[in-house]
Amino acid sequence: MISITGLRKSFGAATVLNGIDLEIRQGEVVSVLGSSGSGKSTLIRCINGLEKIDAGKITVDGFDVSKPRELSEARKRSGTVFQLFNLYPHMTAVQNVALAPIEVLKVPRKQAEAEARELLHSVGLTERADAYPSQLSGGQRQRVGICRALAMKPSYLLLDEVTSALDPEMTSEVLSILAALAKTGTTMVFVTHEIEFARSISSRIAFLDKGQLIADLPTEEFFSATGMALPRVAQFLSKMRKD
Amino acid sequence: MKFDLSILAKHIPFLLEGAWLTLQACALAVIGSLVLGLVVGAMRTSASPLLNRLAAIYIDIFRNIPFIVQLFFFYYGLPEIGIYIDAFTTGVVALSIAGGAFTSDVIRSGILAIDPGVIEAAQVSGLRKITIFRKIILPIALRASVRPLGSVFINLILTSSILSTITLNELTGSAKIVASNTFRPFEVYFVLLVAYAALTYSVSILIGMLHRYLNRHQEEGAV
Amino acid sequence: MRYGDFTPFDIVLLLQGLGVSLALFVSTTLIGLVIGTAWAVIRFYRVPVLMQAVTFVAELLKNSPVLVQLFLVFFGLPAFLKINVTPTEAALITLSGNSAAFIYVIAVSAIESVGRDQIEAARVFGLTRWQILRRVIAPQATAFAIGPLTGLLVNQLQVTSLISVIGVMDLTKVGNILNLRTLKPFLVWTAVGLLYYLTAKLVTYAGARFEKRLRAHTAWKGL
Ligand SMILES: Nc1ncnc2c1ncn2[C@@H]1O[C@H](COP(=O)(O)OP(=O)(O)OP(=O)(O)O)[C@@H](O)[C@H]1O
Ligand SMILES: [Mg+2]
Repeated sequence: MISITGLRKSFGAATVLNGIDLEIRQGEVVSVLGSSGSGKSTLIRCINGLEKIDAGKITVDGFDVSKPRELSEARKRSGTVFQLFNLYPHMTAVQNVALAPIEVLKVPRKQAEAEARELLHSVGLTERADAYPSQLSGGQRQRVGICRALAMKPSYLLLDEVTSALDPEMTSEVLSILAALAKTGTTMVFVTHEIEFARSISSRIAFLDKGQLIADLPTEEFFSATGMALPRVAQFLSKMRKD
Repeated sequence: MKFDLSILAKHIPFLLEGAWLTLQACALAVIGSLVLGLVVGAMRTSASPLLNRLAAIYIDIFRNIPFIVQLFFFYYGLPEIGIYIDAFTTGVVALSIAGGAFTSDVIRSGILAIDPGVIEAAQVSGLRKITIFRKIILPIALRASVRPLGSVFINLILTSSILSTITLNELTGSAKIVASNTFRPFEVYFVLLVAYAALTYSVSILIGMLHRYLNRHQEEGAV
Repeated sequence: MRYGDFTPFDIVLLLQGLGVSLALFVSTTLIGLVIGTAWAVIRFYRVPVLMQAVTFVAELLKNSPVLVQLFLVFFGLPAFLKINVTPTEAALITLSGNSAAFIYVIAVSAIESVGRDQIEAARVFGLTRWQILRRVIAPQATAFAIGPLTGLLVNQLQVTSLISVIGVMDLTKVGNILNLRTLKPFLVWTAVGLLYYLTAKLVTYAGARFEKRLRAHTAWKGL
């Protein structure tokens, strides 16, 4: 379980996350929605320890990410997929995927690379396994990025706008993989602007507004939110549908 | 007087010995300054203000003082504090320290040019700091630095001629001997000048090849 | 007072040496600036033969040790041409030529930094090649060149230290003399190094100031 309590985070004078409480249990797919600048990326970066938190507590399977000693355990349990892929440019797809298993989990190289190939095969990159990132299309790169995160067999997958740098065709390549992952019961925290897709795969929606979690509802409840009960959500949804 | 190179013929073996010494000194100094440059470059980009400051001071001092002064400092100074090393070792040490200052600057900009997202990806996958440095930061920074490092090393070769001032008979030192024995300084130094130019030119070609080889996967491909 | 101790006069000696270093630094920089720019203009006009010759000489000077160039001029020329060359003359010739080669490279890239389209546009307005050079290219190229030029000057300042090897009484030579007399190498070379260091810092500072003023000026003109 990822458990977030009383999380606060500011950059200088600007408070970006202002008291977040959120729990993500095994098997859930939680989409995090909210308008630009509401703090979604920052939330993800707090969970994987890329940002130091100012107050509150985040634990991943009980390991506190604010404690340097526990952070590495917490990081072993979650995998992150980035908006701009962030692949290692000097390594082939296989090497990108196999690096962390070899170095962190001490899997023998041969075995790690065989597993990496299998993962790449499962996302349709059998042929491109030995290509370097610069030789891959955006969609292919992001599929490698997903494999790299999955290679550590994480309990949780953190995804921050993983399709927003891709054109529509590539986006659907990647989304179909994510949909398949969701079906197999992979736990995901999914930051996205693709609200229809979020609706189709999520069990829950968390809605951030100006650094506060103003809704945390089962998917269908969220999408039927009315202007009376949740004016900000309704406003957001109608704006998204118009776009 | 006519320009006559033939008198140099019988001195060629002697000059080649000097050239061999130059190559040895330069090869060792390249290794030395690369090691030093990596350590200092890493310090210069580290989060520790102390390490950062120390590295900056080292770079600043050795980049702003003439090499010959540094060399004399070590050559005449070290025996005074009881360290007796020969001219060759002194030369290699001095070249490495001076070269290290330039090398670390190159490495530093190579490190700073790395997309921070790539390093973050390595961090969140649970890699240890030292592993990230060895497997991610260093290979990327070094690949990007081949050309500027090449210029530093070519400068090192040219600078190594100054070692002749501390009685080391490397290429320039042995040429000095040949010049005074043959009374043909013009021919000797002209050939020497061309020899150095040829040497640095071939090194620069090798560096270009190395750059292309190491970066063969980086330039092509769609974005 | 024992022979070998430092005397207050040594300070004067050091400052005298610094004066000689600076005088040669400034004069050879100015000469180099004129020659190097002239070479770049030759290239801009694509003067046949001359252009190739300039490129070749510049490459040769850039890719060989200054010490060897110095020996060629100081020992080689007199023997070859049966003329007299004093250490100071040899220093002047060599350092000027060396500066010219590097300034040439900077000037060429500065000229090339001015976009082709601007030159085309100026030509459409009927400006002659000389007018284009003076009115369009020169101001922009100067602004572009200050940064690299400052770096070069710091380097050339250090290069002047080599003329001590042929006996010019510059700062490094004074260091040699004091070193031999006092047998206090650490102290002597630290003092010499410090003087070079401070001068280098001064050059860097002046370059940065000049660049800032120039940029402010061009920005204002651009509005
Ligand atoms: N490193 C930083 N330094 C200063 N401010 C930052 C930093 N990172 C984020 N912010 C600010 O924090 C706020 C939230 O940013 P965040 O990236 O979390 O938003 P987001 O919800 O992911 O937005 P988007 O949908 O545009 O990606 C923004 O106002 C942003 O400018
Ligand atoms: Mg974001």
